[in-house]
Amino acid sequence: MQHAAPLARLIDALRALPGVGPKTAQRMAFHLLQGGRGGARTLADALISGLDSISRCKRCRMLTDSELCSICSSNSRDASLLCVVESPADVVAVEQSGSFRGRYFVLHGHLSPLDGIGPEQIGAREFEALLDSGEVREVILATNPTVEGEATAHFLGERTAQRNIQASRIAHGIPIGGELEYVDGGTLAHALAGRVAQR
Amino acid sequence: MATRERVSLEHAFILHHREYRDTSRILDVFTARHGRLTLFARGARGPKSKLASLLMPFRPLFLSWTGRGDAAQLSGAEPDGEALPLAHKHLMSAFYLNELIISLTTRHDPQAQLFDDYARALRRLCVEPQPEPALRVFEKRLLECIGYGLELEVAPELHYQFQPSQGLYPVREDVPGAYAGRTLLALREESLDDAQALDVARRLLRQALDHCLEGRELRTRDVARSMLRRGNA
Repeated sequence: MQHAAPLARLIDALRALPGVGPKTAQRMAFHLLQGGRGGARTLADALISGLDSISRCKRCRMLTDSELCSICSSNSRDASLLCVVESPADVVAVEQSGSFRGRYFVLHGHLSPLDGIGPEQIGAREFEALLDSGEVREVILATNPTVEGEATAHFLGERTAQRNIQASRIAHGIPIGGELEYVDGGTLAHALAGRVAQR
Repeated sequence: MATRERVSLEHAFILHHREYRDTSRILDVFTARHGRLTLFARGARGPKSKLASLLMPFRPLFLSWTGRGDAAQLSGAEPDGEALPLAHKHLMSAFYLNELIISLTTRHDPQAQLFDDYARALRRLCVEPQPEPALRVFEKRLLECIGYGLELEVAPELHYQFQPSQGLYPVREDVPGAYAGRTLLALREESLDDAQALDVARRLLRQALDHCLEGRELRTRDVARSMLRRGNA
């Protein structure tokens, strides 16, 4: 069956969402146009206003609706501590831990040499400009513990050390509440290597 | 009817991986007996994945899969010994090896010798302070495996130039960029410990590889260059 052109366009557009194939997109479209018309209009308005008003923070590249994000413009945050993460979702995760009072820098990805993703694409220039502004005393490299994340941390760590600023890497270890028996060998090896004195 | 192939615990390395949907990954793997192939790894990402920590580049693995062609599904993965202690500063070199294999080998073409050469190159990167000798030896072996091996039967006292179409030919010593026979023999013996031999090996292998790449640029080279530029900025 051939869909009406606007419907087909909507289905096609919904496939821009991650993990949404043709079938799911069709189900979403029917839902929005049948029962959820009020919600659909809200969604459409939110999408437009989000697109119009949300951009990257000038300092940390987090998504925000003003020039500086709420963290960068807050004066209760410690500007001398900079936590480097791969994505805005990682900022949210660290914030939820409630254990960090410094600022962030969001790379929006990681170095991926085989995909041609290099320093320019992860904001190395902005990162270095931030270091050169002189406020930062320690950089915490919180990229993912993958090969690409390690390559990224190594590269940014070198740029940091070059400026006589301390660079540290987040620890890899056993999840709280986990059982050693079920932890993979790589994590266990890191946890043993990174052991701390018993207090 | 097409038979559904089952391959069990094959020696393998992951060369490249990309995300697929919310929880899966597409792996470009290099195996000892089946060459290079693509595998779908369902559920290999996300909080519940047990394989995420294992399915990483440069990790010696045993992989199992079902299906043939380019729609094969990963059915299992186990570690093949310890993870290689690859220093982070050598990761770019290791990525370069992966891109060479991806760019210059064909899928499903068994390359047992090259697989061993790759594993050996990675192990050398783990222990040697300078990555270049290991990279050059791997490049030389790769060219041999894909049928473009260099003919390095030269006289130590003569000088040579290289043309992909005709190989090495003797020239006068004062021809700019001429390769000294002695250094070419060092490459043949794969003993690249002096700086001059290493430089000759780099230039010659670059010429030969560029010919095989037929104008394609290697992305790792580009990225390495821009990393270096930032480093010197």
